[in-house]
Amino acid sequence: MNKKNNADKKNRFLSALHDFYNRITRRSKAFINRFKDGSTPTKISHIIMGYGNLARKQIIKGLMFLTLEIAFLLIMIFSPEINSTPFGGKAIINFFTLGTEEGNIFTPTDNSMLMLLFGILTFGIMAMFYAAYIANIKSSYKADLDIRKGGHATTFKEDIASLLDERFHVAMLTPAIIGIVTFTLLPTIFMICIAFTNFDSLHPAGQVLFDWVGLKNFTDIFSGQGEISVRFLPVLGWTLLWAFFATFTNYIGGILLALLINKKGVKYKKFWRTIFIITIALPQFISLLTMRKLLSEYGPINTFLINSGFIDSPIEFLANANNAWVARFTIITINIWIGIPFTMLMTSGILMNIPKDLYEAAQIDGATKRKAFFHITVPYILFITTPYLITSFIGNITNFNVIYLLTGGAPTVSGYIAGETDLLVTWLYKLTIDQSDYNIGSVVGILTFIITATATLLTYRRSKSYKEEDAFQ
Amino acid sequence: MKKAFLLIALAFSFMIAAVGCGSNSPLTIWVGSESVDFYTNKMVEYVENYNATHEKEFPYEVDVKAVDTGTAASTFLDDPDAGADIFTVAHDNLGKLIAGSSSIAPITNTALLAQIEADNPQTFLNVIKGTVDGNEYTFGVPYIAQSLILYYNKAYITPEQVQTWEGIWEAARASGKQALSLTGTDGFNNSFLLLATEYDNHYTSLELYKDGIQENCFATGDDTIAKLKWGQRFFTDEFGAKAPTESGWEVELADEISLSVIGGAWHFSAASAALGEDLGIAPLPTFTLTEDDAYGQAVAGTVYKSGTFADTKMFVIKKNSDKADYLQDILLFLSSKEVQEESFIAAQNLPAYKNASTEFEAFQEDTLAAKLATAQVEMFEWGIPQPFGYNSKFNTYYYSKGAPDLILDILENKDGEFSTDQAIYDQMLIVESLWKTGLRPE
Repeated sequence: MNKKNNADKKNRFLSALHDFYNRITRRSKAFINRFKDGSTPTKISHIIMGYGNLARKQIIKGLMFLTLEIAFLLIMIFSPEINSTPFGGKAIINFFTLGTEEGNIFTPTDNSMLMLLFGILTFGIMAMFYAAYIANIKSSYKADLDIRKGGHATTFKEDIASLLDERFHVAMLTPAIIGIVTFTLLPTIFMICIAFTNFDSLHPAGQVLFDWVGLKNFTDIFSGQGEISVRFLPVLGWTLLWAFFATFTNYIGGILLALLINKKGVKYKKFWRTIFIITIALPQFISLLTMRKLLSEYGPINTFLINSGFIDSPIEFLANANNAWVARFTIITINIWIGIPFTMLMTSGILMNIPKDLYEAAQIDGATKRKAFFHITVPYILFITTPYLITSFIGNITNFNVIYLLTGGAPTVSGYIAGETDLLVTWLYKLTIDQSDYNIGSVVGILTFIITATATLLTYRRSKSYKEEDAFQ
Repeated sequence: MKKAFLLIALAFSFMIAAVGCGSNSPLTIWVGSESVDFYTNKMVEYVENYNATHEKEFPYEVDVKAVDTGTAASTFLDDPDAGADIFTVAHDNLGKLIAGSSSIAPITNTALLAQIEADNPQTFLNVIKGTVDGNEYTFGVPYIAQSLILYYNKAYITPEQVQTWEGIWEAARASGKQALSLTGTDGFNNSFLLLATEYDNHYTSLELYKDGIQENCFATGDDTIAKLKWGQRFFTDEFGAKAPTESGWEVELADEISLSVIGGAWHFSAASAALGEDLGIAPLPTFTLTEDDAYGQAVAGTVYKSGTFADTKMFVIKKNSDKADYLQDILLFLSSKEVQEESFIAAQNLPAYKNASTEFEAFQEDTLAAKLATAQVEMFEWGIPQPFGYNSKFNTYYYSKGAPDLILDILENKDGEFSTDQAIYDQMLIVESLWKTGLRPE
């Protein structure tokens, strides 16, 4: 069985590789073909963007392409400076060197951080320019084909009309793609790049140059010395444990609560739902800070326990707990109180929408209520909520608020930044915001991404929600 | 055609306006939020004086903003071009700010340098200078001083008792309270023990980056071990000191769970709100070694005065500011002793000026603000400035590599592991290594 799976995987990989190769070849051939087959204006468009359109009196479109090319060339040649750091052509060189000028008390040092950022942005602009360049050739070649077929080169109005009609998806997706590239992809690449540098508190940007260090920051994890090496596995272990318990306690608790409230015979259903929904209505950080105060050493709960004679001295539930497991248990318990209403609300909706005829059919077939519950209700809820369960698990791996507001990662581990309740994400915050160790922070960020992405892919692709997408419809 | 021309003309005029605005950006000054109004008014006064004496308009608008010292320093460390023309930082940030080629400019105005030399105590003069490319420069202009003092509950602690920790401890035991709350467990708040010096001769063997040299750290002297042994008794006693709790020191003080707190001027408002008329302010007390605390050369009966970091906040100027020609003259005015005295009256900022306690009239009044000031001034005699400005690593090694937690473990005798002298000594060897290298000894 395993051998078969491995062979399948290998075949899929080879097939994907083959597809990729075919796509590249197809596009290269198309590019060459357009050049060979295109008219003279189309050929010139390979050098002067927009020429083909201008030659066919597609003035606005042609000017747009031409302006883009001129602007791109100006940026690449003259490399305008922002905050004394060049952008454009010089930024490409700076991306590799990360600065060479060390400066002195009266002259500035090259800002390695801006150089890295501008280098990546320039690569992004180059990629977008390449897309515009190909579009310019395609546009001119299309005009060629239209004329050859006895038609005419489309006017600007016709292009706009087309964009709003049969090419509406292009009009809609282009701004979104530009937005994703600019605000998501490029910052992510920037973050990944930092993991391969020595940009830390000893190399402040603009004062001391930093440089590429290859995989050193990753290999440091296995060096046995220093924060990242000693604390990575304990923090990762607690992160996964927390994510598991935080997800499943809320999930199971929420379902049980919903079943209880929706049970026949329970009165004032709307009232009970409202009571629990109030927890959602309150901003989460207020709930968390309130719980922290309630559980503090001289807070109401400890005062009540002492006054009632149950304990002699205050119990330290959170950051000052003598035993880390007390703090962890308290955090998970508080999280149940905050998280259950969400699952309860969602499951209530699902329960109310289970087709009644399923139960009627089961009843006719002689199924008991218990059987109906385990063979209709539970699978139905699981089917609908599996994607929620996965996103909830991933969300809990990166659940910054609960940990940071309740314990700040404490109890502390003597001599280290990462405390006993720190998750990867709160540790990352401390490493970057408090310590300015951006390189190590990036490594932690990348590893967190790998863990969450792997967990998502593995669990979702194995779930019924994915495999039997059309079921229950 | 006319429309096209009109559009082009409009676009050009917009671009010219945008470029014009960009080149005449305001001169920006960042100060603490408590002082924004004061320094805004002072800058209005400065501009009026400038206009009158130079018979021309001051060329820039001035924008005074509230940005605390920590944020200002970190903003500059992230991007030196992003900060204000003048901003304020605690002196111990100097090392980070002048690392490499420095993000701040040295003071070169001779009048300002002369004023700095004349008006400030030597301890401050030592920590506002730094070496870049092998040359020493003055980078900061001190204008505020601060040290730790004691806020206490006058209803329980008498003026005699507040002189010694033993007196406060006794008052706590008598009333079933705890003697002391801490506002934090970091290396700043534990300085009252670590930096304590012999009352008779100011002696301590403790060395913390002495002379600005990384290797010059020593935390395993007999007196340091003895002070920590005393501290362990104090922190593990039912009526002694307590580490910070989730409830917060304000609650502990207000609910009379503890009778005193070590804090800075920035804790004054909260302490005042917690204790109201019962608020007392005093310099940090002394403590005396007993037979239980004695270690090596540190014998029973030795009296120690609690120590403190005695710090200064200082104005610094952005390197490569396009308004550099005007900045140092502004600082000459803002750091003058007259403005410092006004700042004390308006915003309770303790002046850095060395003769403030004798020359400033406001110090002689019978007010809490004056008591706060005089207690801090007295503590200056028993404190040292945070010696971290010499090198960007020092601050990180002292505060962020875990040494404060290790010291707290000793004080609280965590898991009973520090009941022996040897265990305390061994732990302090680790602390010493962290201070020197940022790493535990191999």
